[in-house]
Amino acid sequence: MKKYITKRLLEIIPVLFIITFVVFVLMYHAGDPVAMMLPDEASQEDRENMREALGLNDPFIVQYGNFLKDISTGNFGESIRYNTQALPLVIERLPASFELAGVAMLVAILISIPLGIWSANKRNTVTDLFITGGSVLGKAMPNFWLGIMLILILAVNVQIFPVSGRGTLVHLVLPAITLGTSIAAEMTRLVRSSMLDTLGQDYIRTASSKGVPYFKVVVSHAFRNTLIPVITITTLQLSIVVSGSIITESVFQWPGLGLLLVQAVNARDMAVVQAAVFIIAILVIVVNLITDLIYVLIDPRIKYS
Amino acid sequence: MSEAAANLEQKEKKSSSSISNLSIFVKLLLKSKTGMLGLIILLIATFVAIFADLLAPYDPVEPHLSYILTPPAWQEGGTSQFILGTDNLGRDVLSRLIFGTRVSLIVGVLSVVVAGAIGLFFGVISGYFGRWVDQVMMRIVDAFLSIPSILFIMVILTVFSPSLWMLIIVIGLTTWVNYARIIRGEVLSLKEREFVKASQTIGTSHWIIIWRNLIPNVMSTFIVISTLSVATTIILEASLSFLGLGIQPPDISWGGMLNDGRDYLATHWWMGTFPGIAITVTVLGIIFLGDWLRDVLDPRL
Amino acid sequence: MKLKYFLSGALLAIVLFLAACSGNGEEEVEAESQGEEESGEVEKDDKNLVIAQASDLVTMDPQDSLSTTGDRFFRNLNNRLFKRNPDMEIVPDLVESSENIDEETWRFKLIEGVKFHNGEDLTAEDVKFSLERVMTDDSLKEYPYFTQLKEVNVIDDYELEVVTDGPMPTIQHVLAKSGSGILPKDYVEEVGMEGFMEQPIGSGPYKFVEWKIDDKVVMERNEDYFGDEPTWDTVTIRAINEGSTRVGELLTGGVDLITDVAPNEWDRVENNEGTSLVSGESTRVMLLMNRMTEGTITADPKVREAIDLAIDQQAIVDSVLQGSGVPVRSRVPEGVHGSDPDLYDAYVHDPERAKELLEEAGYGDGFELTLTSPKGRYPMDGQVAELIAVMLGEVGIDVNLELLESGTFIEKYSNKDNEELIMIGLADGLLDASYSLVHYSIDRAAGQTDYNNEEIDQLFKEASRNLDKEERVEQFKQIQQTVAEERPHTFLYQSKVNYGVSDAIDFQPRLDENIIFDDVSVK
Repeated sequence: MKKYITKRLLEIIPVLFIITFVVFVLMYHAGDPVAMMLPDEASQEDRENMREALGLNDPFIVQYGNFLKDISTGNFGESIRYNTQALPLVIERLPASFELAGVAMLVAILISIPLGIWSANKRNTVTDLFITGGSVLGKAMPNFWLGIMLILILAVNVQIFPVSGRGTLVHLVLPAITLGTSIAAEMTRLVRSSMLDTLGQDYIRTASSKGVPYFKVVVSHAFRNTLIPVITITTLQLSIVVSGSIITESVFQWPGLGLLLVQAVNARDMAVVQAAVFIIAILVIVVNLITDLIYVLIDPRIKYS
Repeated sequence: MSEAAANLEQKEKKSSSSISNLSIFVKLLLKSKTGMLGLIILLIATFVAIFADLLAPYDPVEPHLSYILTPPAWQEGGTSQFILGTDNLGRDVLSRLIFGTRVSLIVGVLSVVVAGAIGLFFGVISGYFGRWVDQVMMRIVDAFLSIPSILFIMVILTVFSPSLWMLIIVIGLTTWVNYARIIRGEVLSLKEREFVKASQTIGTSHWIIIWRNLIPNVMSTFIVISTLSVATTIILEASLSFLGLGIQPPDISWGGMLNDGRDYLATHWWMGTFPGIAITVTVLGIIFLGDWLRDVLDPRL
Repeated sequence: MKLKYFLSGALLAIVLFLAACSGNGEEEVEAESQGEEESGEVEKDDKNLVIAQASDLVTMDPQDSLSTTGDRFFRNLNNRLFKRNPDMEIVPDLVESSENIDEETWRFKLIEGVKFHNGEDLTAEDVKFSLERVMTDDSLKEYPYFTQLKEVNVIDDYELEVVTDGPMPTIQHVLAKSGSGILPKDYVEEVGMEGFMEQPIGSGPYKFVEWKIDDKVVMERNEDYFGDEPTWDTVTIRAINEGSTRVGELLTGGVDLITDVAPNEWDRVENNEGTSLVSGESTRVMLLMNRMTEGTITADPKVREAIDLAIDQQAIVDSVLQGSGVPVRSRVPEGVHGSDPDLYDAYVHDPERAKELLEEAGYGDGFELTLTSPKGRYPMDGQVAELIAVMLGEVGIDVNLELLESGTFIEKYSNKDNEELIMIGLADGLLDASYSLVHYSIDRAAGQTDYNNEEIDQLFKEASRNLDKEERVEQFKQIQQTVAEERPHTFLYQSKVNYGVSDAIDFQPRLDENIIFDDVSVK
């Protein structure tokens, strides 16, 4: 076990290295941030001065070397847009993103677990078809579309929720539903098949045949054993959560990491993009690592060498 | 990256059967209502995409400046000239929808081909050769996997302007890891099987083993992932359009139309609603077909 | 088995905890913003103004901002020696009297008793400090505007002298810019520029309260303001990038004033009870830059004329823009010093003549050229470009349309990588024709349009240093007339800007697109 954990931790190092390289190469070619910093009317000379001042005229290797040296100390460079350190800018946004993602996750869990279990139990009935169809529909509907529709209907036409921004709990409702739905769509499908798997197990059949009421079988036996895969499923939605956040935060002007990223990309703010990509990558790696470790701990059938 | 993930997806698969011959295949298809529906939707979409030039009543980029934002024919103010209405440049929504089918399907299918090719290569090589090859390749997969693809694409598309082909390549380049991971898992188990072991002992070259024994055996898995990926890609393109990074005019895609229409949702619903329906229905069809294929082919993902 | 539950429970708990704890920290904000959300009625019962603009500020440094979004903050936080009134006339702000000693020397006397938000007096030393900073630090975005200033000499606490490097007809224009905002010298020296940016202070009618990046800037009234008493208790400038979301906030009463309402949203704003659309002029002129580099097809004057004749500027304005623009034939926007009224609200359109010209030029069979255009940078830009492509197509020019996302576009523009045509919108930050017309000087045009007219170049240089106002205007007009004939640029239209305004307030748009909070009033 210890060996496995050590191995997994060691594996992270080359992964991070590859990420820094890929990200740096991309951002290096992302070209000219200077153009974004000056107005359309600025002259060539102004641009050249600024480029020199920012050290953008150094050769590739020098820039990459400096980059590695810097990020090892947590220094991702200065945001050219805000003239401040990039990493704190990114870290500052995490609470807002965690808040949205956390609540959206909760929404997704609340929707998908009951629905998944229900449709598994009613396999191949109309109910099942509706739930499965609904989840496919949820998956097929672009995230931003749902967000804009929700704003139109629930914030503008019927003024129940605020349109945008972050602040009170009611501000959370629409963005959380938007993001939550896209996560739930995928999760419902996974919960359903995981539940089907459990229902097919011998001990469930045994319990049923012993005359234990079906409802009780489902709740006390099957669900318990579905719980673990469900938790795994939850963490596996991470990339949907990240992609969804980027879109959702843009629609609702939610001041989180996703919004920062979109704007940083548009402004060619390399330092911020690098820092954000890096932080997201680390989050993904950590969550996956934890998931795997939990998996090893709880499921002795899985062997790791 | 995550073994748990692979494991879970494995659990998702149920009964086993195989495609020994075509007639069983067709019979099974006829039995599945959703599978049939999916296939029909897809056939229609393909037909429309191929014969767009014949089907579209107008040139999709031609503006009719005196017919700007005409509602659909059945609505007040609509005209039978433009059945689904016109957009804010007076272009026929129906014609754009028809031509949009072509681009959306091309992006969906071709980027899956790119992703599939890379993923298959990575999966088979790394699974078969193992050791350091596997280590190196899997670390690359891990690295790619830890950067969500939309994020990756956003960054790449700021470097290269999003033309049709660039978009296909970029989506392909950022979504292949899923294939690699799953196919590697499958190859790992295949290479322990008798027929592979036997070939190895008689000294068959690695490449022939890969070509003759491994690739045909991962094909069904490959087909299933590919089908479902087409759906994901179509939605991805729409999301990229929202960020201004999708297919660029004058090329027409559903995602682009949807994005043009989103600002008109409140006032001129038809601009965005029809492409929205087109995306949803097509994706639905592909997922139905994909799910059914998975049931039938039962790849051990 | 027990471990299993423990772990699964723990993970669930983490998720819940994240959700819960991030919700907690926001309680205080709740009370504060409540008032704004509920004021859905047409009457304004409080003195809190909420504005939403299309993008956030990027800095708290007035000399490093150079953006309309930033100006809306700085103009209310700081004072300058001069300011522009709603009619864009330059009037004194901090200056009590000014005197032009010789062609290169200006003497200014400051109003006494002006205090910064920290209570310190604003003196000539602060003015010297602020101007010298922006004159010498070439990393500041406002720096390019200040290169003609040579030195600033303090005479006494409230009197100073500004020396320029030659006759500078635009000195007052420059001193009325945001970059001339007066910074508190002692404060900046004490806390450093970083400290200043965390808690910026000025001498203006509104004080800085907080800035949440990508969310909002909050300001409150300065009780000790030296001018008229400020109108509002608090002013919140929100950043909402999404057009439809911005409109949504206006419709629901979440904000009182929104900027940049796209034509497609007009009906929503107009038809809604309690909100109206207010349209104003801007200095932004949309135009096509024609590459005249030798060997390019657009180097041929007949081709350029044909392009201009093929484009129906009025139709573009009427259709896509729904009237939100005026066709022009000059780079100098109407309302800017030195503009030529003959070239405003004017266009030439004659597709038949265009075809003849192409025939004469030897392109009777048509040809292909590339038009580069941004998408999402200016209102409806992509669609305007699509329309132009179709119009050019009708006279036989096959347009290869290259639509680029804003960032990629501006990169291409500044690298001068475009082929024959590039569409761009240029504003006039100085409200003076010298700023607009620099594009036709040989140096500036090199590599971009490659327009090379010695006469125009000379004329421009003379006008830039000419203190005779009337003669200067004539020189500018002459340049514009020549340019309209020679067409290094094909002009499209001067953009209007559209604001969505709550009926509870009175708001008049300004040509410089600024918003002076005290010019906005409760009805």
